[in-house]
Amino acid sequence: MATIARPTRGVGIRGPNIASADVQLPAVESYEQVDREIIATLGFTKKWFMGLSVSVAAMLIGASAWIYQIYWGLGQAGYEPPVMWGNYIITFVFWVGIGHAGTLISAILFLFRAGFRTSIYRAAEAMTVFAVMTAGLFPIIHIGRPWKFFWLLPYPNWRLLFPNFKSPLVWDVFAISTYLTISTTFLYIGLIPDIAVLRDKETNPTRKRILAVLSLGWRNSDREWRHFAKAYLFLAAFSTPLVLSVHSVVSFDFAMALTPGWHASIFPPYFVAGAIFSGFAMVWTIAIPMRKWFKLEHYITLNHLDATAKVVLFTSLVVGCAYMIEFFIAWYSGVRAEQEFFWNRVFGQWWWAAWIMLLCNMALPMSLWSQKLRRNPTWLFILSLFINLGMWFERFVIVVPSLSHEFEPWQWGGYTPSWIDMSFLIGSFGWFFMWFLLFVKQLPVMAIAELKEIVAPRVKHGHNGGHH
Amino acid sequence: MQGVVAAFHEIDTTCAAIEDLKKKRLGDVTVYSPTIRHELEHAIDAPQSIVRRFTLIGGLLGVSFGYWVAIWSSNYWPLVVGGKAIASWIPYTIIGFEMMVLVGALSTVAGMFINSRIPRLTSTAGYDTRFSGGYFGIFVACDGAKAGQAEELLRQHGAVEVRREA
Repeated sequence: MATIARPTRGVGIRGPNIASADVQLPAVESYEQVDREIIATLGFTKKWFMGLSVSVAAMLIGASAWIYQIYWGLGQAGYEPPVMWGNYIITFVFWVGIGHAGTLISAILFLFRAGFRTSIYRAAEAMTVFAVMTAGLFPIIHIGRPWKFFWLLPYPNWRLLFPNFKSPLVWDVFAISTYLTISTTFLYIGLIPDIAVLRDKETNPTRKRILAVLSLGWRNSDREWRHFAKAYLFLAAFSTPLVLSVHSVVSFDFAMALTPGWHASIFPPYFVAGAIFSGFAMVWTIAIPMRKWFKLEHYITLNHLDATAKVVLFTSLVVGCAYMIEFFIAWYSGVRAEQEFFWNRVFGQWWWAAWIMLLCNMALPMSLWSQKLRRNPTWLFILSLFINLGMWFERFVIVVPSLSHEFEPWQWGGYTPSWIDMSFLIGSFGWFFMWFLLFVKQLPVMAIAELKEIVAPRVKHGHNGGHH
Repeated sequence: MQGVVAAFHEIDTTCAAIEDLKKKRLGDVTVYSPTIRHELEHAIDAPQSIVRRFTLIGGLLGVSFGYWVAIWSSNYWPLVVGGKAIASWIPYTIIGFEMMVLVGALSTVAGMFINSRIPRLTSTAGYDTRFSGGYFGIFVACDGAKAGQAEELLRQHGAVEVRREA
């Protein structure tokens, strides 16, 4: 089995641990095995119920906080001039970032024909949709009067008033809503053939009828597959620049402002790399327990984890490089406010947040230079938690120190999140995991049809790499 | 629709049967497979999908609408700032781009649905639930004498089951 295959050194130019288009699943031998094992993951278990209960409880904490805030007003959040962006915007950027890995894995790696995507892309895509759904809540929570959120949408009202299209906040609305729509569409289109598999195996008539409707009457005909393949390719081609644009647009929320620490042209690539980095970490947080609990070690093999670890290592280096460039530019610019700000970031008021960020995002991922650790699921899971923490603090370091330490010293202030802020943070994790846990028990968490593409089909005459 | 349906367990025998059926012209052939296989694509040799036209038209409409709505609304309610353009195309590129992706992608999906003829809520002649599992299927739309020939040909190529559909 690939999961227990030890990496070998010096075998040819490319060893088996090298991510390549020919990542194979040697322990998966037939189409029937794929159907059987992936459908088996849909069975309810005690652990799943416990996980769902914890998630719903956490979600209810956030929901209660929202009701409380709507009743008492936005003042209940920990905002205090000059820091008028706090936990809500930090957590918004955090979840948008998490949402990036799914489309990267499903679209960009599809275009690059990276074989290791097949086993993990469905979970990552679902993660993307739920992460963007979570992120989208925070600007609505932040506006204080959430029922007015539709004012940001460009619809023809009676005076033909439109939002200001030059505002980065309106760009955000366009980018996030487009991203959510396309990610959901991409997820659903990929699911259609798999729902058809579930429909054909289902014995309960009510559930069979629901699945028949959801599968849109998919029949696996050559006509359907031909148009499906083309549509999937174009959706991937659209999603690729989209995923890069979304976090670039989110970075413009900061970079367009003349605030120390924000007004930097490096922000779009820095944000995109950070988003991919944090998204992959969340993929580990989800996929590593999933492969163990669902007994899918022969689908998400050590080779798959190794390949993703290399992406994390690379993006960690990019993010680390961006941190260093920020410091360098502050020094090189000769602008006093900028230099003061960056000194304050690391050695001043917010030193602890900056050092958590640097430790989790720059130092700990360097462990991935070791092949042994790249192939150690326990370490990858622990590291993923550190990276999630570090990336939340990265957004904290971007938002809070900049606003609390602007140009005028008399304006400098602090920020202490209130219990409402913390409840929203907990609630966002509950909301996200609730949707994910519901998803994994209703629909296949791995792409059945695509896994079958990897498995060699049976042949009667000659060798096709299959079984006789 | 009348015809003959056959289930195959091996891909090479399926491909051989498809090629033979095409040569003998016994009727329109529909192939079912649990996943996309290039071997089958080569044997079927179908024309290229026209979904790309939907993508192109949708993308162009989207980008035009994105720029148009931003420029039009700026001119309708001008925000006059000294030295700044009222309609500024650089930030509007973001709106144009996002609309291009949104409309282009949704048109692609529409193109796929229209060309694949889905959603389809009625049962299809010749479909068998095994074709989403581990079997390949061939349906030949024909009747009478041709159906007999098709049955024989499919059996010769190693079909595990052949039956007529009324």
